[in-house]
Amino acid sequence: MSIADQALTEEMASRRDMIVCRGVKKWFGDFQALAGVDVTVKDREVMVVLGPSGSGKSTLIRCINRLEVHQEGEIVVDGVEMSNDMRNIEKIRSEVGMVFQQFNLFPHLTVLDNITLAPIWVRKRARVEAEAKAMELLERVGIPEQANKFPGQLSGGQQQRVAIARSLAMEPKIMLFDEPTSALDPEMISEVLDVMKDLARGGMTMMVVTHEMGFAREVADRLVFMESGDVVEVGTPEHFFTNPREERTKLFLSQIL
Amino acid sequence: MTSQTDDSGTAVFTGHTRPPIWRNTSVLKWLVQIVVLVAVLAVFWFLAAQARTNLSAKGIPVSYDWLDEPANIQLGEGIQTVDTEERRLTMSRALWVGMVNTLRIASIGIIVSTIIGIAVGIARLSKNWLARKVSSIYVETLRNVPVLVQIILWLAILGSLGKLTADSGPIPGWVIVSQKGISLPRVFLADGFYQFVSMVLVAMVPVWFVRRSLKRRQDREGGNTHATGFTLAALAVIAVVAWFANPVMAFLGPIFGSVESAWGSIPQGLMQLLLSVAALGGAVLWIRRFLDSRRTPAGLAKLIDDDWFRMIFAVVASLLAVLVVVRGWPGLSSWIINSGSDLFGVIADKFGDGRGSRPIDAMRPTLSEGRFVNYGPTGLTMTVFYASLFFGLVFYTSSFIAEIVRGGILAVPAGQSEAAAALGLSRGQALRKVVLPQAFRVVMPPLGNQYLNITKNTSLGIAVGFSEIVQVGQTVYNKNSQTLAVFSIYMVFYLACSLTISSVVNTINRRLAIVER
Amino acid sequence: MSEVTVPAAQRAPEAESVSPGRWVRENLFSSVSNAIQTMFFSLVLLGLLRWVLGQIFSEEANWTSVATNMRLLFTYNYPTEQFVRIWFAAGALFLAVGASFAAWNLNPMVTVRRVGVALAGTGAVSLVVGLIAPDTTPSAVRTGFFVVGIGLVALALAVLKVVPEPHRRQIPFIGLLAGVAGVICGVLWFFPFGDYGFADGAPTAESGTIDSSTSLPVTVMFLIMIGTYLAGRALARMIDLGWLRRTMIGWWVIGPAFIVFLVLRDPEFDWGYVLAVDVPMGAAFALGGGALLYLLAKPSRSELARVIGALLVALALFHWVAAFFGWYPMLQKARFSFALIAVAALLAPTFAGERAARLRFAGGWFGFMVLFHWLLTGINTPSTLDIAAPPFLGGFVLTVSIAYYVMLASFPLGVLLSLARTSKMPIFRVLATTYIEVVRGVPLITVLFFFSIMLPLFLPGGMGISDLAAVFAGYTVFSAAYMAENIRGGLQSVRRGQYEAADALGLTTVQRTAFIVLPQALRVSIPNLVGQAIATFKETSLIAIVGGFDLLRIANSTIPNQPDFLGQKRPALFFISLVYFVVAYSMSRASRNLEERLQAGQAR
Repeated sequence: MSIADQALTEEMASRRDMIVCRGVKKWFGDFQALAGVDVTVKDREVMVVLGPSGSGKSTLIRCINRLEVHQEGEIVVDGVEMSNDMRNIEKIRSEVGMVFQQFNLFPHLTVLDNITLAPIWVRKRARVEAEAKAMELLERVGIPEQANKFPGQLSGGQQQRVAIARSLAMEPKIMLFDEPTSALDPEMISEVLDVMKDLARGGMTMMVVTHEMGFAREVADRLVFMESGDVVEVGTPEHFFTNPREERTKLFLSQIL
Repeated sequence: MTSQTDDSGTAVFTGHTRPPIWRNTSVLKWLVQIVVLVAVLAVFWFLAAQARTNLSAKGIPVSYDWLDEPANIQLGEGIQTVDTEERRLTMSRALWVGMVNTLRIASIGIIVSTIIGIAVGIARLSKNWLARKVSSIYVETLRNVPVLVQIILWLAILGSLGKLTADSGPIPGWVIVSQKGISLPRVFLADGFYQFVSMVLVAMVPVWFVRRSLKRRQDREGGNTHATGFTLAALAVIAVVAWFANPVMAFLGPIFGSVESAWGSIPQGLMQLLLSVAALGGAVLWIRRFLDSRRTPAGLAKLIDDDWFRMIFAVVASLLAVLVVVRGWPGLSSWIINSGSDLFGVIADKFGDGRGSRPIDAMRPTLSEGRFVNYGPTGLTMTVFYASLFFGLVFYTSSFIAEIVRGGILAVPAGQSEAAAALGLSRGQALRKVVLPQAFRVVMPPLGNQYLNITKNTSLGIAVGFSEIVQVGQTVYNKNSQTLAVFSIYMVFYLACSLTISSVVNTINRRLAIVER
Repeated sequence: MSEVTVPAAQRAPEAESVSPGRWVRENLFSSVSNAIQTMFFSLVLLGLLRWVLGQIFSEEANWTSVATNMRLLFTYNYPTEQFVRIWFAAGALFLAVGASFAAWNLNPMVTVRRVGVALAGTGAVSLVVGLIAPDTTPSAVRTGFFVVGIGLVALALAVLKVVPEPHRRQIPFIGLLAGVAGVICGVLWFFPFGDYGFADGAPTAESGTIDSSTSLPVTVMFLIMIGTYLAGRALARMIDLGWLRRTMIGWWVIGPAFIVFLVLRDPEFDWGYVLAVDVPMGAAFALGGGALLYLLAKPSRSELARVIGALLVALALFHWVAAFFGWYPMLQKARFSFALIAVAALLAPTFAGERAARLRFAGGWFGFMVLFHWLLTGINTPSTLDIAAPPFLGGFVLTVSIAYYVMLASFPLGVLLSLARTSKMPIFRVLATTYIEVVRGVPLITVLFFFSIMLPLFLPGGMGISDLAAVFAGYTVFSAAYMAENIRGGLQSVRRGQYEAADALGLTTVQRTAFIVLPQALRVSIPNLVGQAIATFKETSLIAIVGGFDLLRIANSTIPNQPDFLGQKRPALFFISLVYFVVAYSMSRASRNLEERLQAGQAR
């Protein structure tokens, strides 16, 4: 069994591969951010990526929808290889949603326009249909009354929920979360995590970079611990929080818990 | 996907599938760029061909041979206005006179408008209500009226002044203001100036070393070793000595003379070879640096298509440059040789040959035959044309500089001077060491822009008949129809000015830059 | 990301007023150095004022030269009998201004006290001017200064006394508008300027007020402006403000072209030819192109659209190559239309969508083509105007038109250049940087000379270009480089996260640029762009050097060459300085207001 498929239950192992990374390497100038990462995310799996800052966890998920271009190795998303092929990039991006640490809402558009922009112009939906869907999503994340406000008028937690709704509006098969709660005030973290938990229960395939250990313990199917651009350890939450195998993992967990 | 599975069931990476060319983003990106580049070059080629046909049809093919012909142009003012036996006023010489006029008015304009601008800018921040009001009226009025209108208005105003006579002026014999122009006493650089400067520079070398060691001692042992005081004292002594002894430096003349002839005797083929080597070497160096930047501790990173395109492009560009140097434009090499040797010739002329020893001299305004003397040892004379352009430019630009200065001072947070005061620095020290350097950093880029503007705006002299480069050039092409050639000279001249100013500003800026994360 | 809206009502009110004595003590004589500054600057101020007044009222200055040539200065040789066209154009502009005020809900927040202080200040200045005006000043003028000065000061004092809490009470925008309009119209109707003009080449002068052929239309203009402002405010309560704004932007882009080329120029359409050639051609491009785009804008046909777009690009290029070698004739506007349809076809996949979106896309093309062909037909038709000197535009109208069109035409060019300069593609970057730096490195006047002299030489045989058009082209090329730098500043302020979010949502590069990056970048660049508009307006004066009859040329050479006003330069030059000043200064004040509003928060 390869590193990538460690700690999978029988049932999970039989599921489809949604994200496959094999030997992914990436340099920024002299600095090697990814040193041959092997990870597989199965269908409907929630994978939480842990690691100290600079360990390459953000770079990894940014490579998965080509916000960064990996230099070696291969990334296959739902059977489509990430390469220079325009069609593949378009296909993967429309199937993978992403939520950023800094929300990155479009400040010049209303909440509703933020959500409907991509469905209308990328998925080519009719505006009425897209707006109905957007309102439905806003209900789901709990802020339908903010639809006509501008992002600048919302709190951080509300903005991040809008950002999640914006990604969901594209009906993605996979959601990537890049430290979604790190820029939030403590009292707003739970409202965002609740939305994410809902998503996970609904069977979304998710890859989450976070420092929220409670979330990881409760929701994650598997955890990945990265350091210096390498995957150190993959395991179930139970395995991680009770009996990690590697010294480095123990050290990291002792610092963070 | 071309991956295989080894015995243990692990997927082994063997290589990417290459997407078809029409969907490959790297290929498409470069294809679009190359298509656009070719289109741009084609348009230029079309236009050039068209212009050549049209010009040949009129019997005026583009050339630069006319530069050596006699000018027969009436120049209003400048370092040479008349054609004499010893100094021919050729076309190139006339254009040179225009350039010098441009540079003269631009450089003095820069200095004066900066001084006025700083004064007005500070007055705009004064505690005094009237000072603020007057200076803001100054700024708002001057910057909202087009500079050309101001220049022409100055000409109309100056033209309405009294006639020029021997006893004109507010102070006859010293300060003269009339409809022919303005004249003041002047301090100017006399014959010995270059010898003087070179002597001072040579003598300052040892002083500089002493100063450095004094500073080091101060850093090491504390206290005050009076490094600056020593330097200034030494400079004063050297200046006094050099004032009288500068003819000693006359020997530099022949040295520069021999450099002139040595440079001039470089064969054209050698220069072409040197330029080609420089072009190729540049490409090689660039590629090496580029590869270095892609090198990682784990060896050379895999080069993507994009990187290959870049390197191929560098090689092609350098080969094209070689082609231009060797075949397309052999004149470039001979031009470099000739102008280089001319440059040293000019420098050589500044030394020796029984030059008077005085480096700096002064004169009162002089009139000859009821007119101002054009150029040479006389007062500081501004013709009405010069004066109207100068006043127009200086007042207009100073209103912008005032706003920049005001913005720069306001940009330094009050906390900075409070912090300096809390550290026990005196007000002067705080201003010099804390506030001004920061304000300077904000002020420098827009200030540089204004300097560029003033240089470019000197071209408005054409509206009042001041003999700057554009006006002289226009006279030239009206005479011989060599429009394209004259415009190329304009372009090179102004781009050289712009590059000089912006590189000076950039250098200062880099020195002042605060390293920020 | 945490922009906070500051409602107007919450801004700090102006401070309580202090007694005049205390104010003088605090602001003028608080310390010795302060007192010295006061002395120094009053001397400077008085000296300067006296000098300027001496220039304005000098013995040689004949201000009749300006009064008589008012019409020349503003509209050049526009035929008197057709003057209703000028007024129509002005009416359309005032209408648009009023509607735009309403659409953007302009509210400069002026308190009664500020108006009072401004009135008192103007009155005081008027009194001082009356006192120190040189002896050559006509006595009527001097008396006028005194009367106006005393009147204004008295009025201001009365207002400040009568109105309670003047520093708190704000004047609504409509009040300001009506007040300004009322003052201007009142002065025009009742002030005895005298009526000056030319009759059969000789200047005429009558005492009394200005002829009602001027004051009546001006009054109507202001009434129109106030009327549309009120109507616009009423409308804004009923309909979506965004829609009103988009309409107004559309008007400002297209409207002036129609005013200049169809109203002022009055093309003499040859209807037979128009119906036989121009209308069918326009209809063919509008309908055929619309149908093609409707078909191509279906999401499943994106690859087909790209192929057809590429073919159309090749076809359009071929038309130009053919024109260059003279293989077959074709109307220039047909060539442009082919190029435009090619670009539109390439953009079709980007803007593709459901039926409604496709219809909108095709409809947009249809409307654009109709306008485009109508305008070009109008421009290419000879004018009916009977004008002594060829250019029908001159004076202030020329100055304003050129400035406006240069800004308008260089805008798309500047956007493209700035995008190229900030792009990741090295060749685009190098090309754009070279263009921008070369153009910015040389003076405007050389560019204008180059275009007016050289452009005819670069054109293929048989193609001509008018002087004014050549100058306009040169100015646009010049202005685009500066525009690009201003927009680049805005582009750099758009955060990387915005690009990433757009990419992650799967937007294409064109969509990302059009929907996400440019709207944010342009909003940031607005103050700089207004600054550039002011500079452009001022620099139109350079047209005087290359042969256009703009304000400066008329003031500097036309008027001083009239036999009755030989050599009279200073009055006209002072007058046009004032005109430039009023326009440029109000633009810069408006932009400062706008900047404060933008800083205060996401304006809505």
